Amino acid sequence: MSSDTFFTNETIDLDHLPKYEEISLKQPHSSYWKIICINLVIFFVLLGIGITSLLLFVDEIQPNAVWIVPVYFILAVIFFILFRLSFKKRGYAVRTHDVIYKSGIIAESTTIVPLNRIQHIELNEGIFSRIYKLGSLQLFTAGGQTGHIHISGIAIEEAKSIRDLLLKKLDLLENPGTETEI
Amino acid sequence: MMDNDFSKPQRESAFGIIIMGAHTLIKIVKASFFLFIIAFVKMSATSFIYLIMGILAIILISFVFAYLWYLKFTFFLDKEKQEFVVNKGIFNRDQVIIQLDKIQQVNINQNILQKIIGVYGLKIDTAGAHGEEVSIKAINETAAYNLQAHLLNRKAVGGVQPEAVHENDLTEETPFLKISGFTLFKVGLTSNYGQSLALLAAFFYTVIYEGRQLLDAFKINKDEIQSTVTGMLTIVTVFILIACLLIVLLIINLVRTFYKYFELQISQHKDAMLLSSGLIAKKNTLISPNKVQITKYSQNYFQKKMNMLNMSLRQAHFGQSKKGHEMQGNTLEIPGCNPIERDELLKMILGDAPLRGKTFIPDWRFLNLPIFFKLVLPVSIFLILAFNIPEVKPFVGIAIPYFLIGVLMIYISYRRHRISVNQDFIIKTSGIWDISNEIVQPNKIQAITTFQYPWHKGVDVGHLSLHTAAGQIHFKYGNYTEIKQLVNYWLYQLESGNEDWM
Repeated sequence: MSSDTFFTNETIDLDHLPKYEEISLKQPHSSYWKIICINLVIFFVLLGIGITSLLLFVDEIQPNAVWIVPVYFILAVIFFILFRLSFKKRGYAVRTHDVIYKSGIIAESTTIVPLNRIQHIELNEGIFSRIYKLGSLQLFTAGGQTGHIHISGIAIEEAKSIRDLLLKKLDLLENPGTETEI
Repeated sequence: MMDNDFSKPQRESAFGIIIMGAHTLIKIVKASFFLFIIAFVKMSATSFIYLIMGILAIILISFVFAYLWYLKFTFFLDKEKQEFVVNKGIFNRDQVIIQLDKIQQVNINQNILQKIIGVYGLKIDTAGAHGEEVSIKAINETAAYNLQAHLLNRKAVGGVQPEAVHENDLTEETPFLKISGFTLFKVGLTSNYGQSLALLAAFFYTVIYEGRQLLDAFKINKDEIQSTVTGMLTIVTVFILIACLLIVLLIINLVRTFYKYFELQISQHKDAMLLSSGLIAKKNTLISPNKVQITKYSQNYFQKKMNMLNMSLRQAHFGQSKKGHEMQGNTLEIPGCNPIERDELLKMILGDAPLRGKTFIPDWRFLNLPIFFKLVLPVSIFLILAFNIPEVKPFVGIAIPYFLIGVLMIYISYRRHRISVNQDFIIKTSGIWDISNEIVQPNKIQAITTFQYPWHKGVDVGHLSLHTAAGQIHFKYGNYTEIKQLVNYWLYQLESGNEDWM
């Protein structure tokens, strides 16, 4: 890779670059919390059925019910709180040149994917998401599993418009000045 | 003379039947080797004929399959679409189409059988993740190098044909890097212990596992063997055993190094680099430098004293597929270069010798987690066990050296962990014994992640991951304000230009 764009560095003032950390992020749609709740409830109901059947049919476990039942409820409460916190923390933003996504249950992580590195885009709708008219958007890069963004809980119209916007930009990025390559 | 531009579908060399047949045969034999021994020993004389017939049948079937496979396997180069097309499949028809600009490297290999027959194998690695790899098992030398040149010379759209490469051109190319036998000897003594150890462990595992099956088959009493073995175990024999193992390890290391890297040389070849090495199986790899994503060199204490270092060039191993299949083995190792050769190689790959810019070091909180999880926690568990189980009690003293050495190692890793950034390069240094330097150009970054634990907000400490197509680069426990500034700078670099990453 020859550095054909040889420029001096003094003109760039680091402090005047656009700051990703100061962008105001958009929260996922409020109905998405309901979907998270539905999923959690399904999970805990299944777990509860498993535990009760164990308690009823296996005699050796029965004396342990004293701590298994409270642990089950505490766990459920903790999960709801953690997911609520993580739901509050999620946020996304689409800038002219990149997409930003913030998430995290305990640690707060922000991933930024420049538009000219996106390989493909996927829009998924689950069963419950359909009911609430939500969708999740996935942006894949060549950076593998860790280098991709998965934004869930966007209103489906908005998700579609973001997808179309990104696709349009991707086309613009690829097409100008490519007479010889590809 | 062979058809030189590969524009018409063609079969590989007819010798491919032998190679392919032998390949299948070896696979079958490998899978059922111990089965055969058991069958052989436990069998009566009459069924011996059946066994021979069975073996003959397997050989016959392998070669019939190989022949069919040979008939169906054709390849050609579509100049207009800039694609390499392979048709294959005995029963079903498979077509593999590779876009030329997606090709990362083209390998020309020769294993023992191929060497005897006088043909070469050619393998194409793409950035695609799964199954898209193509390998041609038998092709003559001129055709192999011609095809390699054609595949990598994608700029020649129509009109201008890449000139045919002749054998002589390749052999007379003066290499700019050559690793001598003596250097390899030094490399074998100082590096890659881990891999050899794994190899040795795997070997012992199979021996013990298969040995047990053999013992079962022969109905030998296992207890007898066990008692004789334990009887032989005294302190002296244990030390001798360990010494023997170490020597064996060194020898394996040396043999492996020589086998893989014998006569390693690198030469420049138009826009690409040609690497060739190998003792019995010769391997030639042609790669274009701008497809290298991460360039790494590493050095340990001994190697520093001997003035040499190991380099590795990592290429993209993630595909566009969402299935998450990751393709490994796209790393090229160049052991035993001296610093001058390293600089020359770096210049070839990166276009410029990388300079260290502003250096960022981690906060002392870097030490907390490893000290807790690797030292405090295991040592306390060990102590609790030791004071409750009388058998473990005499070894209680081990905790002290373990703790001290652990602290030292974690401290060293903390001191080494740093990232230095300038306009064109990002250099991440890390390591305890082997100090490695990973060099990335900002335009190879695919995505950036920053993260922070809530309890580090007050002290302004955070972490950074740079995702590239060849893996991630982490910088932990840095000053979060500085990290954010760096991220903004890299985003600016990535987004203001439109430089290709591959």
